[in-house]
Amino acid sequence: MTILEIQNISKHYGKIQAVKGLSLTVQKGMVFGILGPNGSGKTTTLSVITGILKPQTGSYRWFEQEPSKWLNRKVGSLIEIPYFYPYLSLYHNLKIHCLIKNVPEKDIERVLEITGLTTRKGSRFDTLSLGMKQRLALASVLLGDPEVLVLDEPANGLDPEGIAEVRNIIKLEAEKGKTIILASHILDEVEKVCSHVGVLKWGQLIASGKVNELLVEDDTIIISCERMSELHEVLVRAGFVKTSHFNEQEITLTLADEKTSADLNAFAFKNGFTLSQIEVRKKSLESQFLELVR
Amino acid sequence: MKQLFKIELVKIWNYASFRVILILHFLLFLLVLFVSSQIDISVPGVTVKNFFQFPHVWESFAWIASWFNLLLAVTLILLVGNEFSFKTFRQQVITGLSRNDLIIGKSFIVLLVALYGVLLVLLTSTISGLIFTRGLSLAVVFEKSYLLVVYFIQAVGYMTLGFLIAVIFRNTALSVVMYLLYFILIEPIIRLLFPREARLYFPVKIISNLTPRPEFLTIASDEPMLDAVGQSNLDLHAIGIATDPLPFYLTLLLALGYIAIFSSLIFIILRKRDI
Repeated sequence: MTILEIQNISKHYGKIQAVKGLSLTVQKGMVFGILGPNGSGKTTTLSVITGILKPQTGSYRWFEQEPSKWLNRKVGSLIEIPYFYPYLSLYHNLKIHCLIKNVPEKDIERVLEITGLTTRKGSRFDTLSLGMKQRLALASVLLGDPEVLVLDEPANGLDPEGIAEVRNIIKLEAEKGKTIILASHILDEVEKVCSHVGVLKWGQLIASGKVNELLVEDDTIIISCERMSELHEVLVRAGFVKTSHFNEQEITLTLADEKTSADLNAFAFKNGFTLSQIEVRKKSLESQFLELVR
Repeated sequence: MKQLFKIELVKIWNYASFRVILILHFLLFLLVLFVSSQIDISVPGVTVKNFFQFPHVWESFAWIASWFNLLLAVTLILLVGNEFSFKTFRQQVITGLSRNDLIIGKSFIVLLVALYGVLLVLLTSTISGLIFTRGLSLAVVFEKSYLLVVYFIQAVGYMTLGFLIAVIFRNTALSVVMYLLYFILIEPIIRLLFPREARLYFPVKIISNLTPRPEFLTIASDEPMLDAVGQSNLDLHAIGIATDPLPFYLTLLLALGYIAIFSSLIFIILRKRDI
């Protein structure tokens, strides 16, 4: 089922074009990461699809329907910094969210437990650390057990421990089958959590697909054998090599299109080269990302 | 609707500043009543205690309560200003409320606080009237009790104007200053630019005139004194200082009209501007 369909959305603030002609689809069960440098339109996109901002052109549909008030029950969103009443306790802040979403008050205990805040439920919001505040924000989004989570930089400003906590919460929710749309700068986290990714640049979608498909391209192969330069020459002549460099210890190369590491191994053996080492290093999302947005 | 009311109750019930202001309001009002009750004018034929008797007690206590309407308005400004400062209006829209819901929720608080004011006047007036009135009868007790409703409308008027100013300026301190300035300075100065008759129609003038100052000498004078002296008040009209006040029903209608205008402006502003 298509959970979200965005068609040709554009949004500008005066002369600044924040999002331009953006179209993408999110299917049920995906953990969809939206990546992009600062100012690429990630927050604007999420703000449009959650109804906070109105696009100048284009449209979007949730659950294959026009969005309306019911959306808030099915979609939990965390856009920018969450705002709570500093003088109210965690419990009372969440109680307000329960009343707005028409969710039973007893759900508060459940989300506090998921986010590890049960012991602090009576504490005032302004006494919490940044990590706890972010976890409270996640707790508020989880109220009512929505089918979809829309999260804008959920680990923003957190220390490594906080980032790991947030990542675990997101993973747990993803394992329950929720659809998650996540905007983040932290590429390592997107790599670990997301199944699909869309890359924005200057308000436009420049790449999208499965995370492991984006990683398949241009894997680096490291091979070693006794006659390095000879092997290198043979591989180049046979059309295995896209890019390469070698030294006395190893040859580092990227394979040409439609060639696999298994093909290379078989070819080397057939031509009398016994490889002492063959290592496949997947290109990181970060390097992919940086290449795309440069 | 019930949900919106519950949301606002959660906010105010656990907000220490709100409780402090209301307690302060309560204590100040009682203090003024107590001090007033201790006033002793040693003039034969003049009895201050008449103000504490039915039916005049409704008028005098509503008038004294009106002094503290500014405090109630400041309370409302604080609550609305906080929503902008903490960006919780924005968060509530993100979570699922509409902008209209935000206004309706705060309107419930306006009505609740005004009701608190009315109950305070009702309670104190009733106690005072029962203690000080000789010769109780239903007619005497209830003769001017309609002023409770009038006071309610006045309190709503003050707070709705405060709500509007808070929505315009979105900053608690600035809104309080602007509210007080408008009340004490801006409107009085603007009124001076208009003909005397027109000055009566301005919003603060109308709303504050809902509970006019009681005629002290008339109420305080015993009957023999009234018979002997005749009209108690200096004829300010004759010497050109005062204009005839507007009829009460017109003042009430205009007050309700201004409340409707302020409320409409609040809706328009919140709908059009980013929160």
